Amino acid sequence: MSSDERFDDLEAELRALAGSLDVPAPPPERVAAAVRARLAEPRPARRRRERWRVARWQVARWQVVAAVLVALVAVTAATPQGRQAVTAILRYAGIELRLGGETPAPVPAPAPLPGEREVPAGEVAGQVAFPVRTLTALGEPERVTVSDGGRVVSMFWPDGIRLDQFDGRMEPFFFKRLGAPFPEETEVDGVGGFWLRGSHPLGHITRENGEAVPLRQAGPTLIWQSGEVGHRLEGAPSMARAVELAGSLR
Amino acid sequence: MESVTPMDDAEAIARSLEGDLSAYEVLVARYSALAHRTAVLFGARDEAEDVVQEAFVKAFRHLASFRRESEFRPWLLRIVANETHNLTRARGRRAELTVRLSATAEVKAPDDPEGAAVATDRRARLLEAVRALPERERRAVLCRYFLQLSEAETAQVLGWPVGTVKSRTYRGLARLREEAGHELG
Repeated sequence: MSSDERFDDLEAELRALAGSLDVPAPPPERVAAAVRARLAEPRPARRRRERWRVARWQVARWQVVAAVLVALVAVTAATPQGRQAVTAILRYAGIELRLGGETPAPVPAPAPLPGEREVPAGEVAGQVAFPVRTLTALGEPERVTVSDGGRVVSMFWPDGIRLDQFDGRMEPFFFKRLGAPFPEETEVDGVGGFWLRGSHPLGHITRENGEAVPLRQAGPTLIWQSGEVGHRLEGAPSMARAVELAGSLR
Repeated sequence: MESVTPMDDAEAIARSLEGDLSAYEVLVARYSALAHRTAVLFGARDEAEDVVQEAFVKAFRHLASFRRESEFRPWLLRIVANETHNLTRARGRRAELTVRLSATAEVKAPDDPEGAAVATDRRARLLEAVRALPERERRAVLCRYFLQLSEAETAQVLGWPVGTVKSRTYRGLARLREEAGHELG
């Protein structure tokens, strides 16, 4: 469509314009050497260079997350103002948790994920950029959808059980607003995860401008990250059952 | 950096995965200018060099998730675009297109100085019109024409379906024609 004949000249003009832009780049060899030097550095030193990042919690930072969480619970329990505003944001496994004192108002009307469409289970792998797995303990899902140009795969089983797998490498994708009770930490196959007990508003963070779009009221959810992939498992009746199901991911 | 037979991307990636940093240096040097251009066009300004280094470091760390049968270039540029997005978002500013026409870019036509001046002016106005596009359309146009990526590559870099790339490019072109005046194109 963009090569619509009516735009041939304009397209040629844009390409010519691109060639006359002033974009001085550092010498490639210098960039290569700098990158190599950083890769050879020990990782903690590298982290300090990420100056613009507010907080990016990843698996290796798990202990820090847990410590922050404990401190947060302690602070919010101790101070009256801690019970009001959003007190902290945790970012983990592609999910941004906005923790506040009051339980936030529920999302009234549910909305689908952007570009969500149903796909045959066998065709999922070709449509997303990460390895997709399934909860073997539950057998074949009833339904599988792919959303947001292949960033999210959702699988649905009876009794409201739902597994979302998403590209956990990039900026947070989902956000959740939580009041008390605060998330509990747990382990899934040796990596840290959070169990969110109560029902809570779930939203989606658009990549375009970081805008947060409410999606629906989510049930109890387990979140964890495995490799590059973030996971949220919703609808299990207890943390123990959620962890057990999560452990069957293959 | 140079060897007798230049390493192709697939070989450089395979060797990087084995921890060969020299092989990765070849990839960095190969895509450094394009990565830098991407960061600048998407609004990294004077922090483009940091963004590019960060993107290459991150790409190395995530190389195991790169699918061998796909192209390295759009995969890398997606990381660059995301890093730039993180930066502009953290800085609380819009991803504005701040590039200028280079001083040497004036259209040269010794026999027709007036025509040359008109052509140079036209380029400046077209750049202004690109700058003024709505963000999504601008990103599509930047990828397709300023970075010369295919529709499929653009889709991968921006994380959009190909149909969305087509429609946003089309709308962008239509708007550019409208805004930049009828004598364009």
